[in-house]
Amino acid sequence: MSRSLLRSVMELRTPLTRLPPTFLLPSRALSTTTTMMQNVAPAISPAQTSIPPPPNTPLNPQKQAPMAPPPAEAAESISQLFPLLRAQPRHYITAHIHGRPYLVTEGDQIRLPFKMPGVLPGDVLRLDRASILGSRDYTLKGTPWIDSALFECRATVLGTESEPMRIKMKKKQRNRRSQRVTSKHKYTILRISELKLLEPTV
Amino acid sequence: MSYFRITLHRSAIGLPQRTRGVLAALGLRKRCQTVFHPVTPDSAGMILKVKELVAVEEVARPLTTKELREERRPEPGFWVERAVPR
Repeated sequence: MSRSLLRSVMELRTPLTRLPPTFLLPSRALSTTTTMMQNVAPAISPAQTSIPPPPNTPLNPQKQAPMAPPPAEAAESISQLFPLLRAQPRHYITAHIHGRPYLVTEGDQIRLPFKMPGVLPGDVLRLDRASILGSRDYTLKGTPWIDSALFECRATVLGTESEPMRIKMKKKQRNRRSQRVTSKHKYTILRISELKLLEPTV
Repeated sequence: MSYFRITLHRSAIGLPQRTRGVLAALGLRKRCQTVFHPVTPDSAGMILKVKELVAVEEVARPLTTKELREERRPEPGFWVERAVPR
């Protein structure tokens, strides 16, 4: 209830959420967008002390500095900007399963490139390893991982899918015998059933 | 007793026979191979001979091959939260 209220308040305050992404806007509109965002950002979180951004750098809320900030600064920026990310309507996540990244959002269906051992259809998996968490306007990048206390991502095992049978003919030179090698792999299907951003516990 | 953890980063192809001999004495045969040697003047001298090729770290105890493999394995990134009755 409070989330939907907050969202509606945000949409009233920022008509920008209905605008196309910044790279589609003309250059003049781009500058106004950034200044508007500067004005709006402290208004949403009045309790927090706002740090004015450096004046001569082009402010873009979607991008962070390429170098990883020191941990204290990162924690401060999370405590300031994470509520803004949390208030946005839809989120995506780059979850890592066995080291491979999957960029997914809620409701997505993914086919893992392997058959996951020890799971049955209907099992609920909790994905706790993510490198990027974002929405339309904000992105939280992990260094290299995001704190798993910030989000809850669940995936439901739907079952397995199998590829069409592959047939490989093997033949040695100067020999008429040819061997038929077949393979048919199975892949686990997951559906991202839930992606929720939690309150940071400070 | 502490140990040197020595990893061969640069290949010895095209290097003089003496340098390759030092690598063989250290037990390094191929790139990214890791060996452990106790911290002694002998091993320190051998490392200095091939210092441009290897990365060296000081560790408390040598790791087994199994532990080295386990270091490289990525984390699963998931756990089964609710399993259907089986």
